[in-house]
Amino acid sequence: MNEDLDFLVIAIAQGDVHAFSRWLASAEAPLRASLVRFATVVDTEAVLQEAMLRIWSVASRFEPDGRPHGLFRLAVRIARNLAISELRRTRATPVPSEMLAEEPEPTAWAPPDPMLQKVLRKCHEALPDKPKAALGARLASQGAEPDEVLAHRMQMRLNTFLQNITRARRLLAGCLSKHGVQVDPELLS
Amino acid sequence: MTQPPIPPRTPDPEDPLVEQVASAYRPMHPARIAAHPIWHDLSAHGRARAFELATALRKVEAALDPEGLSSTARAVLSRLR
Repeated sequence: MNEDLDFLVIAIAQGDVHAFSRWLASAEAPLRASLVRFATVVDTEAVLQEAMLRIWSVASRFEPDGRPHGLFRLAVRIARNLAISELRRTRATPVPSEMLAEEPEPTAWAPPDPMLQKVLRKCHEALPDKPKAALGARLASQGAEPDEVLAHRMQMRLNTFLQNITRARRLLAGCLSKHGVQVDPELLS
Repeated sequence: MTQPPIPPRTPDPEDPLVEQVASAYRPMHPARIAAHPIWHDLSAHGRARAFELATALRKVEAALDPEGLSSTARAVLSRLR
């Protein structure tokens, strides 16, 4: 995360959703990356979303310590504590020491490259109807509905819906690759 | 448009589960956001795959979104309390 987003704190504390959106857009990726060590033991997506919601709730009480990325560092601590708490709740064994280690410094995160966005939109536009519709349903639901519900609404079986999602991301990755964009190998998995 | 060739892969029995867990959907319990119900059914390998896939998907989603927001960010914004 290159830009220090603490200039947004006052606006976020005053309930400015646009400022919080801007913070989320930059903080999400490095915050998710900070949870990688917990990926096999807790559901990091749930932890991540909960940590972001708590940042919104506590922003008005946030006190800067004079170092950059203060709100982000707080988010990393909240996410880590939530993950450890969840791990303790669901496991009888002690939490491994490597998971109790201090949070890492903010990692590099660049906003999406405008050229990548242009190519991606072109690739997205060229998707076949059903994969495009399945992906669109996921995005439109904003994480509020499970895939079973989205599949039912599209009059698809769950497996067919999931196959269309898989096909959409693999086609997008193939198209990006064809345009010389390096893609995450997971998109082709 | 002619679709580019997609490299072949060996299907994994956990594929449908990984695909669902990699989504941003998480049930909202009264006090907090809960784990995806299927997450508990995944092996450690499947959980790691879901994490990596979610990371990659969110970048794509953010790049497609006019405000640069992924489905995770959108889910959070829809649940502000």
